[in-house]
Amino acid sequence: MKRSDKFRQANYEAKATVLATIAVIIFWWAAGFGLADCDITFWHTPLWVWGGCFGTWIFAVLVTVFLTKKIFVNFDLDDEETKND
Amino acid sequence: MTSIFNLLPVMLFLIFMLGISIYIQKSSTAERKKDFAKDYFIGGRTLGGFVLAMTTAATYSSVSTFVGGPGMAWVIGYGWLYMAIVQVVVIFLVLGVFGKKIALISRRIDAVTVIDVIRARYKSDLLANFSALVIVAFFCATMVAQFVGAAKLFEAVTGFSYVTGLSLFGLIVVFYTTIGGFKGVAVTDSVCAIAMILGLCLLMGSMMEVGGGFTNIMNYISTSHPDMLEPLSRGKMPVSLYISQWLLVGICTLSLPQSVVRGISYKNTQALHRAMIIGTIVIGAMTLVATWIGVLSKGILTDSLAAYGNSVDNITPLAIVKSMGPFWAGVTIIGPIAATISTVSSLLLASSSSIIKDIYMHELGKRGLAPLNSKIRTFSLAATIILGLAVYFIAISPPSVIWQINMFAFGGLETAFFWVLIFGLFWPKANKTGALAAMIGGVLVYCTTMALKIKFFDLHQIVLGILFSLLLFIIGNYLGQPADRKTLEIFFPEKFEN
Repeated sequence: MKRSDKFRQANYEAKATVLATIAVIIFWWAAGFGLADCDITFWHTPLWVWGGCFGTWIFAVLVTVFLTKKIFVNFDLDDEETKND
Repeated sequence: MTSIFNLLPVMLFLIFMLGISIYIQKSSTAERKKDFAKDYFIGGRTLGGFVLAMTTAATYSSVSTFVGGPGMAWVIGYGWLYMAIVQVVVIFLVLGVFGKKIALISRRIDAVTVIDVIRARYKSDLLANFSALVIVAFFCATMVAQFVGAAKLFEAVTGFSYVTGLSLFGLIVVFYTTIGGFKGVAVTDSVCAIAMILGLCLLMGSMMEVGGGFTNIMNYISTSHPDMLEPLSRGKMPVSLYISQWLLVGICTLSLPQSVVRGISYKNTQALHRAMIIGTIVIGAMTLVATWIGVLSKGILTDSLAAYGNSVDNITPLAIVKSMGPFWAGVTIIGPIAATISTVSSLLLASSSSIIKDIYMHELGKRGLAPLNSKIRTFSLAATIILGLAVYFIAISPPSVIWQINMFAFGGLETAFFWVLIFGLFWPKANKTGALAAMIGGVLVYCTTMALKIKFFDLHQIVLGILFSLLLFIIGNYLGQPADRKTLEIFFPEKFEN
């Protein structure tokens, strides 16, 4: 991979990370505040606690797995061009 | 109730940390002979995924993860847990946005610190020196606050005096950071993260037992404190607080230099990817369990806050003392001590790298003097130990100004570096004048509004700091000159390389 391509890829990954953060924020809001008025409790704990707190954690882990497996690409961090000189 | 059993577990743990650092110092003799600063301040860029994840998470979680946070959760309830979990984004955000770019750039320009990168991008000694000043001042205040918090907790749980506790872990962490360098900090941090998780599990388990089980505790909360089961806690948790926290401890942590510097330190992209996953799992688990313990401790500490000395900081030590005997309390306290020393070790090393690498070595370089490796070694070790001891002595009887600086520290660091780093790495047109205006102006606006308690729509002052910093960057950028072609080729080869 050329150095410029690595930077293009790094920019792309940075943008994807920002989108992933926005996705986590939306999930956090929906699974917490969104469920706050619901009377269902599970194991003596309101549903919004499971969704907003524990759910957000699991969602964030899944998002990170998706980012690193599907969006992020492995490449050599050292300059290949200069290394061969 | 003071007994050696209280002290023994922590002492053994600290001796273990010391042993790790001595081992690392011995095994990196060869690397340090070659290029001391690179090995000592950044670990020669060799961190693997697990250690990178653990050191980033451990540096981020501090004594307040164990004391202030759970104490507030005891008052507010699950709303505080819902707010604390916003921190789950901090690891993947900083590593995902800056991780690869800063690694590529720092390898090209041989950078060791975040300030090296800022200096290379903006070509401004004033900006670099101001950055170093911000880092040293805010980091030192944070370290003092960490020491004080942990020593108070230590006193309350073990019965040994404040100074005994402070001297025990304070002196040992300063010593092991000095000899172990960055690699030592990273490995001891990883052990600390594991100790934190174990300490939390232990506390959770014994609290359940004393409280008569989870069902019992939850029944008590839902009958006596139903507000603790609502996200807004009947007005005790306004929506503006949630938004403030998303910015202050979520999104804006992106620019904390102690996290960004980890992007310079790892081995390869596989390590970075692994660290993002492990780090997100660990930071989320730690935040959830620690704060959840705070909520559930309502079931065993059933009096009003006045009965507990009118300070939420007393909740955690009381919960520990009430739910276990001296020996296990002594084991559990390793958790918060580990959280403290893993934060202090990273901040201490980052502060001494600012002084030695960013100011001293650069000044010598400017005069055309290449400092000898042995001289860098002596000065680096001296700077770390002197700074560490200074922090220790200040923590013995901290002046009130320390608390104010500490209160400013987190948001101040974020304001100072947020746009400077984001624009510096992602916006080719960003220039020196803009960066200077954003950093100096932003920090001034933030500290002034904090001191005068000026708020914008009831949101934390970080909002004003970040907004003004952005505005000043754009105005300054408009007035300044663009960076030279050579710099742009290094930082933006995708646009400027032939």
